[in-house]
Amino acid sequence: MYILDPHSEAIMDEYRKQRPVFRAAERAIVKRLRESLAETGILVAAVESRVKTEHSLAGKLELKGSKYKSLADITDILGIRLITFYLDDVDKVASALERLFDIDWENSVDKRRLHEVDSFGYQSLHYICRLKESRAEDEAEINMPYRFEIQMRTLLQHAWSNIYHDTGYKSGVEIPREYIRNLNRLAGMLELADEQFSRIRSELTDYRRRMQALVASGNLDDVPLDGDTFRSYLDLAPFQRLNQRIAAINQAEIQEVPLIPFLAVFKTIGCQTLGDVARIIKDYSEGAYQIACYQMGLTDLDIIASSVGPQDLCIALVLKNGGGRSGLRRLFDHLLGPSESNDMMAELLIEQSSSFPFMNQ
Amino acid sequence: MNINIDNSNGVTTANLEGRLDTPASTEVAPCFEQLKEAAGGTVVLDCSKLSYISSSGLRLFLALRKETSVKGGKVIVRNISDNIRQVFMMTGFLNMFEIQ
Repeated sequence: MYILDPHSEAIMDEYRKQRPVFRAAERAIVKRLRESLAETGILVAAVESRVKTEHSLAGKLELKGSKYKSLADITDILGIRLITFYLDDVDKVASALERLFDIDWENSVDKRRLHEVDSFGYQSLHYICRLKESRAEDEAEINMPYRFEIQMRTLLQHAWSNIYHDTGYKSGVEIPREYIRNLNRLAGMLELADEQFSRIRSELTDYRRRMQALVASGNLDDVPLDGDTFRSYLDLAPFQRLNQRIAAINQAEIQEVPLIPFLAVFKTIGCQTLGDVARIIKDYSEGAYQIACYQMGLTDLDIIASSVGPQDLCIALVLKNGGGRSGLRRLFDHLLGPSESNDMMAELLIEQSSSFPFMNQ
Repeated sequence: MNINIDNSNGVTTANLEGRLDTPASTEVAPCFEQLKEAAGGTVVLDCSKLSYISSSGLRLFLALRKETSVKGGKVIVRNISDNIRQVFMMTGFLNMFEIQ
């Protein structure tokens, strides 16, 4: 139960009347924010929003009601929080907001910069926003004459802030200095962790760019075989020529399917670089084609998946190198998952193999 | 060619019986359209009584798979004979479906 002066009561009355406006604006603005972040490719961990409750507003007015002339002076009736994974994404999100809304710079605050060099604690960027006067047609129906607050911080900053509020601030009871000190030590540690996460992302991005450049330049022996490099390699359509040759057997159409599962197969075969994969394509394409010719030549099947080329390459390699039935079984286990039926396919290929010309060369 | 469709426990199962050749594919295409309506969940194609599949039949399987990919469901191909498994292997379709 709060005891409010008549001025604060008048603000409360205005709030009750305007609450539907804030709620409608909350839905529309959050939707617009999500769309905008998706367009700019910024991945956020969460978007939270709330319209201040009557209880919370009354508490605020009881403490400092005289500070506000009207409801319009209270800028956090509608509050939105954007939580990012990475530290540098906080600034990217802020840039996106600057394009979307008019920012009340005088009342916005960057709490990240409020700390002295030897202090750690709450870190967040708070923007006080207003809808732009001239906004896009699809936003024109949003009726929101009031300012609203958007807080931006990382997931780790968010975790610290929530725990800090839970242990100290929200209870309204002063907590012992040693706990505050421990919380602030944690804030320093999380600040370092945030920086490390951002650094790891930057270094990974840099690594991917370097590998893509090496793949594009054809220096495949210098490129280790991993998920990123194999994807870059697949962009060059290394199996296309073989697939087209196989498709030509029955004038088949080729259905493109993801080839990333072959990464594990090539690694199992012993490939360490993209150069190793390229050599398999060079050395075993003829064998793979002969397998496809033998199997499809007497059928009228006129549809194949783009996985046929790499699949038959691996079969040719295993057969030619004496891997036999167990080698083929292992190959299918990797490619299709363990199954007793893989034995049947391995057995069938062993029977067929004497008819493959490349096996007799 | 017969297809019996059964819905139970959130799983749609189509029991395929006979030869899925080109004429039969045209005949059962409406059944596959009906299966696409369940593409947001799990669709099981039980092939224990399917004796043959042609390219047209493979295309029906493929179209259903594409629909489930879009709608967030999946297709499970169950109980295929050795002959049909060979067809799936030589066309690369084995990698496209969850086969049980």
